[in-house]
Amino acid sequence: MTTGRNRVGWTIFFALAREEWRLHTRLFGGWRFVCFPFLIAALSLGASVALVETGTAARTIVDGLHLLVFGFGLYCGTAGFAGSDMLENVFGRLSLVLSTATALPLSRRRMLGVFLLKDGLFYGLVFVLPMAVAVVPLVGLSADLPVAVGALWLSLSLTFAAGMVLTVAMIAARTRGVPTWGIALAALTVIVGVGVTGHTASARDALVPLHGSWPAVAGLALTTVFVGIVSLVAYDPAYSRPSRTASDRFARISDALPVGQDALVAKALLDLARSSGGVWKPFVSVSILFALVAAMVGLVREITGIEPAPGIFFGGVLGLSAFTTYNWLTQFDSLEAYLAYPVSIAAVFRAKRTAFVAVGAPTAALPYLVAVVWFEATLFDAVAGAAILAGYALYYYGLTVYVAGFDPNEFLFDAVRFALFTVGVAVALVPTLVAGFVVVPPSTELAAALVCTGVGFGVVGYVLSSRAGPRWEERYRAGTQ
Amino acid sequence: MGVIQVDGLEKSYDAVRAVDGMEFRVERGELFGFLGPNGAGKTTTIRALTGQIEPDEGTVRVLETDPVEEPIETRRRVGILPEQESPPSFLTPREFLAFVGRVRDLEPATVEERTAIWAERLGFESKLETLHTDLSRGQQQKVMFAQAFLHDPDVVFIDEPLANLDPLVQEQVKRFLVDYAADDNAVFVSTHNIEVAEEICTRVGIVADGRIVTERSVGTTDEPLLEVFLEHVEGEAVRDTPAVAQAQR
Repeated sequence: MTTGRNRVGWTIFFALAREEWRLHTRLFGGWRFVCFPFLIAALSLGASVALVETGTAARTIVDGLHLLVFGFGLYCGTAGFAGSDMLENVFGRLSLVLSTATALPLSRRRMLGVFLLKDGLFYGLVFVLPMAVAVVPLVGLSADLPVAVGALWLSLSLTFAAGMVLTVAMIAARTRGVPTWGIALAALTVIVGVGVTGHTASARDALVPLHGSWPAVAGLALTTVFVGIVSLVAYDPAYSRPSRTASDRFARISDALPVGQDALVAKALLDLARSSGGVWKPFVSVSILFALVAAMVGLVREITGIEPAPGIFFGGVLGLSAFTTYNWLTQFDSLEAYLAYPVSIAAVFRAKRTAFVAVGAPTAALPYLVAVVWFEATLFDAVAGAAILAGYALYYYGLTVYVAGFDPNEFLFDAVRFALFTVGVAVALVPTLVAGFVVVPPSTELAAALVCTGVGFGVVGYVLSSRAGPRWEERYRAGTQ
Repeated sequence: MGVIQVDGLEKSYDAVRAVDGMEFRVERGELFGFLGPNGAGKTTTIRALTGQIEPDEGTVRVLETDPVEEPIETRRRVGILPEQESPPSFLTPREFLAFVGRVRDLEPATVEERTAIWAERLGFESKLETLHTDLSRGQQQKVMFAQAFLHDPDVVFIDEPLANLDPLVQEQVKRFLVDYAADDNAVFVSTHNIEVAEEICTRVGIVADGRIVTERSVGTTDEPLLEVFLEHVEGEAVRDTPAVAQAQR
């Protein structure tokens, strides 16, 4: 009996894995997807070499990698937690095995467990393993290298799995009727509690198994497994949300907008506001980014004694929230759906840009203000950082829209598009971060130059986003998308 | 010239020739059935006729507009009910129809009045304030049906008109389509349901391998449409066609 159940479990696992593989190779073309891990490896290696050359301690690099991987796990968690509408939609549309499970004699709880196991292994191989080559410049080319890469991979994988388990825990809590705000409050209490009781360093160490003791590593592994199992048991497969109603707000929002394509903008804003997690989703995403950057700044200061100019540093990095905000704005519609109406694809993109500004400005501005106050930025630094934040966010937005069109989430697995996006981001961000680390506090001249740079990149972003419409319209009408 | 005119239409996706020399015309007053198995090229043809894609070869005219050169103008004049499942919009049906009214430049009062009429006709009055994403598929189809007719277009393109609708509503929809076409409009119905085509269409074009293989006016001969269909369409795709599967059983 048990053998039969195991066989079914493996059958599901391999069917899901095969489906995942075909999904990505079909979406992006085989070689573009196969190249993706190599691209991640090259980026990790390049970043690691650059950090070593600039005198960054090995411990800082390893801790930073773990923070990054944990953030990635948490981001997956955010999608499940704040965007369960999106998750259900993605499950149903893209996974034939998952969507047909309701017609088969299979437990949905079991399906979710196997699905997460498959996803964990998939990301562990495609993302985390290539990231582990960052250890090469730290240990050099020696006989110990394979062991060092393997150890870092296992360590990163465990940290990533811990993040993923949070996903399951939060989804399970939602299916048991715990409201989103309740889960957010609990998470906030834990974070604040750790900070207030002075356990930040302990929490950080716990998430870096490579540097931990064996009992600590075993503790993290067992906790991850335990929370995962409890969450799966707690997950209510029969959970379904009652139908939701809403009063008519479309006309009011549409009339209040002082721009063209107001109906398209109003629809985008309402879709975002009413999907699970509401308008807070982009804030949650940017908060994770903020927390990671703040932790990195603290880490670097603690180890090297260097502290960057907070305005410039946070302005440059928080601009990346443009990607996550745009991602949320495109989760609840598709370009094809608009083709039944007398609107052009260019008009749809223009409307998305307006919605992006409306949502993205407060989303990025709030954590930026917290950063400049918390890290005590000077006036010049804060002003320069604000200009960088606005300009770079528009630039990153334009870059995302131009390269990825309406599917920013999917292009993460396309090596060519991802490489283009990464180079585009690096061109703006790397020199800015270097300036933020070297000239502290920034001089008047540097601040003025950075303000001009922010404006310049903002103009480039505007142009890119304007050209994205005709570019994607041409592709859709050719039938190649 | 017909309100829909297609000459030598061709469209390929990579190595797959989806539409291969399609030719037909539809006049006012006709309920034209575009009948064929899955994968015959029906949806691609509708997408070309409504300016959603550019054909590789051939010309198309809809209500004296060229969908290739002026796709927005074509879509302004026609109604479209696409086959694909609608995305999970979080607007209510009332808001969604207001949205459609805005992009079609209709007066809000007109939209409100027609929303009430369509909600009563198709029976979704009690769901007007429910989020679209929380409606059943059948209810979503009703709302999508209403949006296609909201601006009272002269030509309507419908891909599988009765999908997900309950039998009672199906009957209402069929009667409505017949009356709408008879009122000097044209309704273009793409379907693989032979019985529905035979019941409501005035004329049917049978599609196979990307082109119309035969056309006939419905009710002019005693030969059942199913037999005509089987004469002209072969292969495994035929078995997916509902009436054929039923006949074989």
